[in-house]
Amino acid sequence: MSDNTTIPEVVTVDEIRDEIVDVKTFYLSFDERPGKKPFAFKSGQFIMCTVFGAGEFAVSLPACPENDRFHLTVRRTGKVTNALHELKPGDKIGVRGPFGNGFPFEDIQSKNIIYVGGGIGIIPLRSSIMHVMQNNQKFGRILMFYGARTPRDLMYQYNLKEWKTAPGFETFIAIDNPMPGWDGPTGFVHTLIKNADIPVKDTVAFVCGPPMMFNAVIKELLSRGLDEHSIISTLERHMKCGIGKCQHCSIGRTLVCTDGPVYTYHQIKTLGEQI
Amino acid sequence: MYRISKDKVNDIAAALAEEHTLYAPALQRETLQVMFTQIKDLARINLTAALPLVPPKHVVFPQFGRTLSYAYDKAKQEVKFTPETDNSPKALFGVRACDLTGIQCLDRFYLGQDFVDEVYRDHRKKMFIVANTCVTPFRECFCSCMDSGPSAREGFDMNLTDLGNEYLIEIGSEKGETLAKKLSLASAPESAKRDREKAVDKSLSLFSKTAKDNKAWISRVVNRVTTGLFDEKAWTYIGDQCLECGACSFVCPSCSCFNVVDSVTGKDSAERTRTWDSCSFEGYSRMAGGHNPRKPVEDRRSKRCFCKLSYSQSKKYLRHGCVGCGRCAWVCPGDIGMPNVVTYIRREITKKGQ
Amino acid sequence: MLDMRGNDVAGVFPVRNHPVSKGRLCVRGWHVHELINSNERIKTPLIRKDGVLVPATYEEAIALLVENLSRYKNDAADNTGFLASPRASNEENFLLMKLARSVFNTSNICLDSDPGHRNSIDVMHAGTGMAGMIGSLEDIARAEYLLVLGSDITKQNPIIGSELHMAARAGAKLVTIDTRNTQIAHLSDRFIQLKPGSYKVALAYMATVLLEERRTDEDFIKRQTEGYDGFVGCLSFLKESEVEEKTGIDLESLKETARELARAKTAMAFFSSGISGFDRDTIGYLFNLFMLAGKIGKEGCGVNPITGICNLQGSYDMGIAPDLLTGYQSITDAAVRDKFNKEWNVRLSARPGRPIDDLLMDRSRGLKALVAVDHDETVIRHHDEIDAIEFVAYIGTYHNPFADLADVVLPIASYIESDGTFTNTERRVQLFREKRKPLDGIMPGWELYTAIAKAAGASWTYTSPADVMGEIARLTPEYSDIRYDKLTDSFGIQWPCTADNPGGTPRFSIEKAAKKITFVPTDWSFMVPPVSEEYPVQLVIGEAQHFWHQNNLMKKTTIPLREYNATLLLYPQGYVAVSPEDAKRLTVRDRANVKIISPYGSMEAMVQITDKVKPNTAYVAYFVDDMVTRFFLAHKSVMKRGEDETVPLSIVKE
Repeated sequence: MSDNTTIPEVVTVDEIRDEIVDVKTFYLSFDERPGKKPFAFKSGQFIMCTVFGAGEFAVSLPACPENDRFHLTVRRTGKVTNALHELKPGDKIGVRGPFGNGFPFEDIQSKNIIYVGGGIGIIPLRSSIMHVMQNNQKFGRILMFYGARTPRDLMYQYNLKEWKTAPGFETFIAIDNPMPGWDGPTGFVHTLIKNADIPVKDTVAFVCGPPMMFNAVIKELLSRGLDEHSIISTLERHMKCGIGKCQHCSIGRTLVCTDGPVYTYHQIKTLGEQI
Repeated sequence: MYRISKDKVNDIAAALAEEHTLYAPALQRETLQVMFTQIKDLARINLTAALPLVPPKHVVFPQFGRTLSYAYDKAKQEVKFTPETDNSPKALFGVRACDLTGIQCLDRFYLGQDFVDEVYRDHRKKMFIVANTCVTPFRECFCSCMDSGPSAREGFDMNLTDLGNEYLIEIGSEKGETLAKKLSLASAPESAKRDREKAVDKSLSLFSKTAKDNKAWISRVVNRVTTGLFDEKAWTYIGDQCLECGACSFVCPSCSCFNVVDSVTGKDSAERTRTWDSCSFEGYSRMAGGHNPRKPVEDRRSKRCFCKLSYSQSKKYLRHGCVGCGRCAWVCPGDIGMPNVVTYIRREITKKGQ
Repeated sequence: MLDMRGNDVAGVFPVRNHPVSKGRLCVRGWHVHELINSNERIKTPLIRKDGVLVPATYEEAIALLVENLSRYKNDAADNTGFLASPRASNEENFLLMKLARSVFNTSNICLDSDPGHRNSIDVMHAGTGMAGMIGSLEDIARAEYLLVLGSDITKQNPIIGSELHMAARAGAKLVTIDTRNTQIAHLSDRFIQLKPGSYKVALAYMATVLLEERRTDEDFIKRQTEGYDGFVGCLSFLKESEVEEKTGIDLESLKETARELARAKTAMAFFSSGISGFDRDTIGYLFNLFMLAGKIGKEGCGVNPITGICNLQGSYDMGIAPDLLTGYQSITDAAVRDKFNKEWNVRLSARPGRPIDDLLMDRSRGLKALVAVDHDETVIRHHDEIDAIEFVAYIGTYHNPFADLADVVLPIASYIESDGTFTNTERRVQLFREKRKPLDGIMPGWELYTAIAKAAGASWTYTSPADVMGEIARLTPEYSDIRYDKLTDSFGIQWPCTADNPGGTPRFSIEKAAKKITFVPTDWSFMVPPVSEEYPVQLVIGEAQHFWHQNNLMKKTTIPLREYNATLLLYPQGYVAVSPEDAKRLTVRDRANVKIISPYGSMEAMVQITDKVKPNTAYVAYFVDDMVTRFFLAHKSVMKRGEDETVPLSIVKE
C-alpha cells in the first residue's frame, strides 16, 4: 500500500527533453522523503501525475527500476498534458503511486523474450527492455521488433542506438513505407515478425501499440505457435484515482489500475468486454 | 434483544445526536418527499415514511465534495496540501435494509480490495447505524429478489423492527450494546424473535407481483448476464430508450463511481473535488486522444447491468451489486430501470425457448 | 432541488411529486450544482480603462452606465438597445424592461436568442387568445395520439421526451415527423422522414386529406370556430401531384398519419420553439390541421411549442419584445399605455422598437449603446458590429465572451441567491426561493436594476422580488392573481390566473373560451428549398444533446462539459453529419475533412457518418462556434433560423 494514496508527493522537474512531435520527457527528482523508503517501482507500473491547477492523469513509468534516471515520457493530448508541456525545469508536479501490477519477471526466468512495440507503444516497454538487458544472462534470446510511421516517429532514438549493438539483443526496427534517408527495413511490424526467425518454445512476447497493430501482431504470433498465456500486453484506460475506486478503468470484471495494467492475451480475451 | 415503545424510539436518536451529526428520514417541506437528511429537530424523524428518494449513501459518499486543496507558490517553488474531508462522527437513524446493503457494498469496495480509500474512510469513521425493517414494501421494491431485505441481517449497530405497539431492537455490535445499556432499554423476550419473523414474512407476502415473479428468474438472469449468453439485440432495444442522464447511478445505493476534478480557486491555489459520475455517460470511458471503448449507448447499459447482477462482481461486494430498492425504476426517463431490464432479459431467454 | 448544507450546494435531487418532472432529471439538471459551484463567476464590477477591464465598485460602474445611456436618452428609440436573457427571472426581466422603456426611453428590447418562440406565441394567440402552449404537459398521459415534429426531443427536452415515451409505452400512438432519424423517431410507432424544408407541405397535405375524406370534426368547426373557409381556400393551392416530390414521402403514409390523427379521440402536437423552431406559416398549418381534427381546447389535446430555455416563455410574458408590454399587451394601444403610465408615473412612447438583430445589421443607423444580460449567441453572430458600438454594458453572473466587448461589466447574483419566478413552457409560473445570501457582496438583479433606476433619477420602491410580482400582477391580466404566498410550497400556477380563476389554467379550454377560436391566416405558397445539381445537398441546422447555443454555462460544469468534449474533441474542426450513402459517394471515412460550399460561402469540417440523415441531407449542430465558422456569418442575411430553413450546398472531399 502506498503512503501517497490520496495526497500526492512533490517532485521537481529537473530537465525536459523534446522527443518526437508532441512528446516530451520530464526528468524528475524526489524531494526529501524523511522516514520513508526511497521511491521504488516495478517495470509495467504507472503513477498518477498531478499538474498543479490543471488536474491529474495516469502515466506509465518508462524508467528502468535500477540504474536509470527517473522520468516520465508524455504526449500532449488533453487539458492536463498540455499544461504539463508548458512547465519549465525547476517546476513542481505531484506523484501518487506507483500503482498497478508489473511485468511478471519471476515467471519468465530463462525464457526467450520478444518485445513488439508500435509508435509510442514502446514507452511502457522501455522499462522492461532495459531491466532485461541489464540482466540478460537470466533469459534466453531477446528480440525487439519496433515500428513507427516515419523515422521522425521513432521514440527513444538514443536508446535504440545502444540496443541495436547490445550483445544478445536482436533488434528489428522499421518504418511503414520506404523514405529517402532510411536504409533499414520497411513495412508493418507484424510483417517484420513474419519474415523473422523467432523462438516459439519457452518464449514470452510483450506487445504494446495501437489497436490495429496489436491485433495483427497477436494473430501472427499465435499462428507461429505462441500460446495465449505467453503473450503479454499492457492496457490503457481513462483513469481518475489509480487505486481501484473510481472504476473508470473497468473492463468487464477487471479494473485496469489494480488488476493490470499488465495482462496476458488469454486474460484480455476473457475479461468480459472488448478492450 | 431489547424493546422500546413507539413513542420513545426517538430517544435513541436523541442519545446519538449528543455526539454525532444525526441523519434520518424526514419529509422535506417544500417537495413533500422523503429525504434522508440531517436532522436537528427530532420531531421531523419519520420511521414509517417511504423509501427516501436519494439513499443514505450521500452521507458517506457526497455528490460533490472537496477532498484536497493545495497552494503552489511558483516563486518559492513550494507546494502545500490541505486535506478537506469530513471525519466527524455521524449517525444514520432509520436506514432501510436495502440502503444498508448498499452501504455495505460501498464499505467492502472502498475499504477492501487493493487499497483503502482514505476519503471514504474519513466519512465512514465513527458512524453509528440504526437500521429499520420494512414491515411493508414500497411500490417498486424487490429486495426480496436480491437477498437484501426486507430486514437487515448484518452491518447495523442496532436494527429496529416495528412489532405493532413497540419496536424490537436487535443489537449488531458492541457499540449498539453500549448504547442499549446507556439507555437502559428493556430486554425483549425470546418470543419476540418469532414476532419479528412473522412481521418479515408478512412483509414478503405484500411484495408486488412483479417482484414475486422475478424472484425465480433473477438467478437465471444473473447467470446469463455473467456469461453474456443472449442476443445483443436486447441491449439495442434497451439502449434505444436510454436518455443518458445518469440518474440510475446517482440514486443507486451501491453505485460508487466518481469523477475527480481540480479547479483553480485563486492565483496559486486550487481544490480537488470528487463528484458522482455514471457509466451511463459516453465520456466516462473516453480516453484522451479520442479512443472510447464503450461508445454505443447499449454497451454502457449492458456494462451497468453486468456491474449490478453479474457473479464476477462478487469480488467487490461479496454479493450482487443490485439491492432491489427500485429507485432506478422511479427516476429513469426511459423506463429502463433494473426491474424492466430483468424483464427484457427474461423475455430474450424465453424467446429462444431455453 | 438543491441539497443545501449551510451555504454550500452539496448536490441536486429530483422531486418525485413534481407534476411535470415526476422525479426525473436530465444530465444538465443532475449537474446544475457544478455550475453553481463553478469558480468562474464574475466577482466584482469591472470598468474598461485603457483597453483593460479593471475592478470597480458598483457605484462607479452604475454611474458610468447611467452617464453613457443618459447621453442618448433623446434619441434612445433609435440608438439604444437592450438584450435580455431568457434565463433571467420574471422579476428581473420585468425590471429590465421597465428600465429600458420608462427610464431610458427605448423600446429596443428583445431576446436575441430564441426569437423563434415569438412565432409560436403569435400563432397560438391569434388562434385561441392564449399566447403560449395551449395544452398542458400533464395531459400527455391522456392523449391517444402524440405527434412530434422537428425536435430531437429526448435530447433537447428529455423530461418531455420521457413523458411521450412513457405514454407510448402505455398505449398512445407516437408519430414523429422529422428530417433526422432521432431517438424519439426510433421509439415511435410511425416515423416520417421528410426532406428538409417541407414540413408545411406535409402538414397542408394532411389537412387536405382530412377535408377530402370528410374526417374533419365538422360539429366542432361549425360551432366553435371561424375562418374555416379562408383556410380551405389556402389549401386549394396545394397540388397533390407535387407533394411526394417535395416531401420525399409516399402519399399513402401521409394519408395514414392524417387518418390516425382524425380517428384518435385526443391528440397533441409538440415541436421545438425558439432557436430551432418553425416559421409562422408552418406553425399556422399545424394549428389549423389540429383545428380541422377538432383537437384544440379539450382535455388531452393541444398544439404545444416547447421552449428550450428555462424562462423563455416568461420573458415574453414580461414584455421582452419591441412591440409588447407585459401579457402581450401592445405598446401601440393607448389604453394599455395609460395603465402603465399611471402605474409607472411616466409617459411611454407609442412607438414600437426594433429587434436588436435588425439594428445591428442596419448599417445606416447604428446602435450607439447596448446593454446585454447573460447573452451568448449574439456575440458570435454580430461580433464585429458590437465591437463597433460606442458603449456596451454586460450584466451577468458568469464569465462570458460578451464581456470582452463591454465597457462596463456588472455582476449579478445567481438564481439561488434571490427569490424569483420562472415560467415554463406550459405557462407554469414557479417560485424559486433564495437558498443563500449572495456571495462577495454581489447584487441580485432586481436590486441592481433598482439601483440603476435610482442613479438615473427614477425612484423605485421595491423591497423584495415579491413587491415586483405585485406590480406585474397589477399590470398583467394573465398574472393578476399570482402572488408569492400562493406560489410558496406549491408546484406553480399556470396562467391565466385571475380572480375568477385563482387556481390557474392548465390548458386552453373551449368551454371557457370567451369567443370562437380562429383558423389562423396562412399563406398558400408551398415552395420548398431548391436543390440543383450544383448544390444537391440540403443542410439542416439543429440542436444536439450537449450543444446549446454557445454553451457558455455548460462549459463551466464538469460532466456535461466532458460529454460535450466527447463529440467536440472527436471533430475539432466541427462536424457535418452525412448519410453512409453520401459518404460512400464522396469516398470519405468518418472524420475525413471535407469542404462545404454553398452559393454564399464555404467552410471546412469533418464528416460524421450517421444513419440519422437521409442521402442528400446534411446536419450540423447549431451555432456552436467551435463547430461552425464564419460560414454561417456569410449566410446570416439569407438564412432564417429554424427547422424550416436549409442551405443548399455541395460537399467535396478535401
